[in-house]
Amino acid sequence: MPVCIQTANLTKCYGSVVAVSGLSLDIQMGEVVGLLGANGAGKSTTLYMLAGLAPPTSGTVSLFGKDICRNFLQIAPRMGVLTERPSFFDYLTARRNLMVLADLAGKEITVDRALDRVGLLQAAGRRVGTFSLGMRQRLGLAQALLTEPELLLLDEPTSGLDPESTQDILALLRRLSNEANVTIVFSSHMLHEVENLADRVAILNKGRLLAIEPTEKLLSWDLSRVELLVDAPDTVAKRLLEQTWITEATALSGRVEVVLNDATVHQLAGFLLGSGFVVSGIIPRRRTLQDYFIKVLNS
Amino acid sequence: MIRRIWVAYRLELSKALRMKLAYAGPILALLIVVSMTQVHPVFQDSRTGYSFIADATAVTLNLFGLLVVLMYSAMLLASEFNSGVIRTIAVRPILRREYVIAKMLHGMTYAVLLTAVVGGGSWGVALASGSLTGVTFGGELIYANSEMAYTYLLGAAMGLLPQFAAVAYAVMISTLSRSPGSAIGVTVALWFVVDLVKYPLRIAPFLFSTYIEYPWQPFLDRADGLEARWFPQGYYCIGTSVAAFILFTAVAVIVMNRRNLQR
Repeated sequence: MPVCIQTANLTKCYGSVVAVSGLSLDIQMGEVVGLLGANGAGKSTTLYMLAGLAPPTSGTVSLFGKDICRNFLQIAPRMGVLTERPSFFDYLTARRNLMVLADLAGKEITVDRALDRVGLLQAAGRRVGTFSLGMRQRLGLAQALLTEPELLLLDEPTSGLDPESTQDILALLRRLSNEANVTIVFSSHMLHEVENLADRVAILNKGRLLAIEPTEKLLSWDLSRVELLVDAPDTVAKRLLEQTWITEATALSGRVEVVLNDATVHQLAGFLLGSGFVVSGIIPRRRTLQDYFIKVLNS
Repeated sequence: MIRRIWVAYRLELSKALRMKLAYAGPILALLIVVSMTQVHPVFQDSRTGYSFIADATAVTLNLFGLLVVLMYSAMLLASEFNSGVIRTIAVRPILRREYVIAKMLHGMTYAVLLTAVVGGGSWGVALASGSLTGVTFGGELIYANSEMAYTYLLGAAMGLLPQFAAVAYAVMISTLSRSPGSAIGVTVALWFVVDLVKYPLRIAPFLFSTYIEYPWQPFLDRADGLEARWFPQGYYCIGTSVAAFILFTAVAVIVMNRRNLQR
């Protein structure tokens, strides 16, 4: 698959503060990559450098095989960018704002399609100054989608949206990726959003890329942690703690959370049945992005 | 490049037409011209009519007009930095330098509009309240009305040059600012500071602001029945204005190209 984004040793400094340090990334066409990190980790700065809004202190950014600084005019029509707190001309209507941006793109564009996609068609004739935060965010997405871009760079795309709108926007982005093979790079604080949307997750901390892994790999089953659905949780937990191959067994209402130490689920099941306990279910725990995030940060 | 600048310029104008603030300057300028009749009455003779036109134009454009052009131009980019709209624009296929040039053209158009409003207003007032039949001396026609109009148009054209330089200066400050308030404050304050120190520092001959009033001098001379004097101040006016315009535009483009739009 051809490379869509390539950065080499990308660094951004603000005086003595290093916002991004030596970032080297390869993102394939059609991939969805989520940038995760605490505040000040360098997520937004990375996106701004990718979009050509912040000149890097050193290093290079190439999009579609071309250097962004030298080929901005060729690259810009192929990308859509949503910045944090998207801003518009407040005294113009939503439709007029998009028409202004469409004219700058130099293409014949039907702005109503973009407005419809984000559920703003009804409010197209309203001045943006009267919009709520969530509506502005959706209009921000509409302007990013305006030119049917091949690449979307989104800084916290669901920020300020209600749960229903969040789901709609995530579904739209997923559809764009699946159906139109749009490459999406987005930042978020919401781990479940990244889990649901991203093909790969990049974790940044203090400007450094700590890890970048396929989401599927990170969300595999953790067979060392299981949940037992039993009739007598206290008795089961007590018996299990007597076993050397059990690290932890916590009795909860109607279930026991177990951490296995050098043992298999099969072995555990055999022990429980052999001891005469009534077990209605053994559920292995699925690893979450939060587990991975914390593990990477701690390491 | 020209197409992109043209598109951006067109969009600037369409935005300006929808901005109420854009109308304030020309309306106020017209009110000043009309109210000038109180301090400079126009009688039924040509001399006071031309004299009114010269004074009304010079006072309105050189004091109020210049201030309005400076403030308006200083807001053009700074307001977009402040609101963050610049980020939405800067990811579109237009180079930053092209956008700066479109902004300059916007400011220059505003200067032309103000000059046209003031010119049209002052001629209108003079025509309505007096008779403009040319300048006479001892009953002899020295300058016909058409000659006076031509001199006025030449003055207006020349008067636009320092105004364009002022636009470039204000846009340059605008590229360095983060808010319209600070951009306007710095633009106006720096202008007055330079105006105060330019004579003690003996830099006045090299500054375009020194020659802002000069373009109207030939018209004033002719209105008084004198020979119009274009040289040498007229040439200094053109030279310093063009040089300042190029310098300020270059600085504005360089600053804009290097500016980090994340902050």
